[in-house]
Amino acid sequence: MEKLTKDDIHPKILEALMRTESRYTVEDALENEMILNMGPQHPATHGVLRLLLRLDGETIVACVPELGYLHRGYEKMAENMSFYEFIPHTDRLDYLAPLSNNVAWVLAVEKLTGIEAPPRAQYIRMLICELSRIASHLVAIGAFAMDVGAMTVLLWTFREREKILDIWDILCGARFTNTYTRVGGVANDIQPEALAKVNWFIDQFDDNLKECEQLLNKNRIFIERLDGVGIVSAKDAIDLGLTGPTLRGSGVEYDLRRAKPYLFYNEMDFNVITYKEGDCLARYFVRIDEARESAKMVRQILSKMPQGEVRLNSAKKVLPNKAEVYTKMEELIQDFMIVNFGINPPAGEIYSAIENPKGELGFYIVSKGEGHPWKCKIRSPSFCNCQGLPLMMKGHMVSDVVAIVGSIDPVMGEADK
Amino acid sequence: MSLRRRKKDLTFWEKIYIPEIVKGLALTLKTMFKPKYTVEYPEVKFIPPASYRGRPVLVMEENGKERCVACGLCSRVCPPLAIFVQAAETPDEKERYPVKFEINMIRCIFCGFCEDVCPEEAIVMSKDYELAFSSREEAIYGKDKLLTPIKQVQDRINFLRQYK
Repeated sequence: MEKLTKDDIHPKILEALMRTESRYTVEDALENEMILNMGPQHPATHGVLRLLLRLDGETIVACVPELGYLHRGYEKMAENMSFYEFIPHTDRLDYLAPLSNNVAWVLAVEKLTGIEAPPRAQYIRMLICELSRIASHLVAIGAFAMDVGAMTVLLWTFREREKILDIWDILCGARFTNTYTRVGGVANDIQPEALAKVNWFIDQFDDNLKECEQLLNKNRIFIERLDGVGIVSAKDAIDLGLTGPTLRGSGVEYDLRRAKPYLFYNEMDFNVITYKEGDCLARYFVRIDEARESAKMVRQILSKMPQGEVRLNSAKKVLPNKAEVYTKMEELIQDFMIVNFGINPPAGEIYSAIENPKGELGFYIVSKGEGHPWKCKIRSPSFCNCQGLPLMMKGHMVSDVVAIVGSIDPVMGEADK
Repeated sequence: MSLRRRKKDLTFWEKIYIPEIVKGLALTLKTMFKPKYTVEYPEVKFIPPASYRGRPVLVMEENGKERCVACGLCSRVCPPLAIFVQAAETPDEKERYPVKFEINMIRCIFCGFCEDVCPEEAIVMSKDYELAFSSREEAIYGKDKLLTPIKQVQDRINFLRQYK
């Protein structure tokens, strides 16, 4: 094995690692303390997350996460394409819940443009948001359990997620990169077969989740590896800007669906799950309970779903109805204008955020009145949650690293943008 | 809500772990007799629903000609810039037709925007999902590969008319 030299580490990272006084030298790694490089090609870091750990024996003295291995420049790309064309790119941010990102993007654009989708479209958006939250949490729970050594749970949660992907298959026509929402509505109305499948899924979901839980909740190995590991206090969590299950696991009752309701979340009856311990186990409990809450919400949405249009009829802002494009001149011109020149929202800047499965996903858009954003900033929850890693790691063992990374569930596609 | 346990809540029997192993094994053994959720793919083919977005194809009318009028809207909207259209005039009623219509299937991301904006219902997503190439040139699909008789994509067209 090759020795890690000074040239392999960026000077700023080295400085961050070495901030505490020590007798350490890089060339003489095994002498006193050592630097361990974890990732970016490590199966337990959930993608291409690189962690540099400074170790004293097996105890972590300092940890610096290095991001950017999956950087594709989406914020810059958004400046060169219309608001409409950016929808497929949002799929590739948080690829475990692509529909949540689609919804977040179109809500931001709608806020900028000053339009609102019809009620049925908004209910469909809510439905897909909650289902994708379940899907994302299922992967998080499964992968988390596998990180600490329980393989079966991963297979079972993936089976459940597969059923949601089957719903997407009928509803959107794609399993993974859905591209389902449109500015001013959704791509197509929800089909009766898709609704039937959602109903079926929700009915059997609770029992199957309980089965996964039975494998973990009384499991001594699972509990002992997570209890009291990676503690973040409520104050630290707020200071670091953590959101989502990571924040709620620390006992802060903050959920954008409740704090700043978007869509029709103010009409929904749901609990914001919080656990006050702030360790890995608490974050796991939050995810399990949130998946249940989402299933409860899906039932409410299905019973309340109104009839009507799924796309707003607004010239110059929203793509016209297909049947009208084929037969009417006005709509045909509209179709060409929107595709060629974009929707031209008024000049201004907005910030719009939704509660993604991972936390607060926000889009900050500056418009100069053109068809494309002048500047687009993505506030991605995984990126912000990764800031908590150094704090959580300090004082724990090397084997706890995978548990802590798994418990905040970062998706690198989103963290690196 | 099931009981949320921490280290201190574990009972003696849970701590000695052996009964729990037996319980866990019983649970996993039980799933062996449940119906399988996987499909044995190459033998059993996945039949996509009408809403499925597979390979984009050009609709060929009954008379053997394409519907496309080469307006170029699909190539304009295509997010990965996969479509290339070259227009020419024709004595037919529609006046324009594509001399060259190429989709680079390596670039295509199957988002369905081309179909979404097409003013003539000329390009639709088929159910074709088995795409493999041995070279980059092979991946550029010209009109010969894209033109599909309308009967084969009728399913998708009906879906578009009903739900879009």
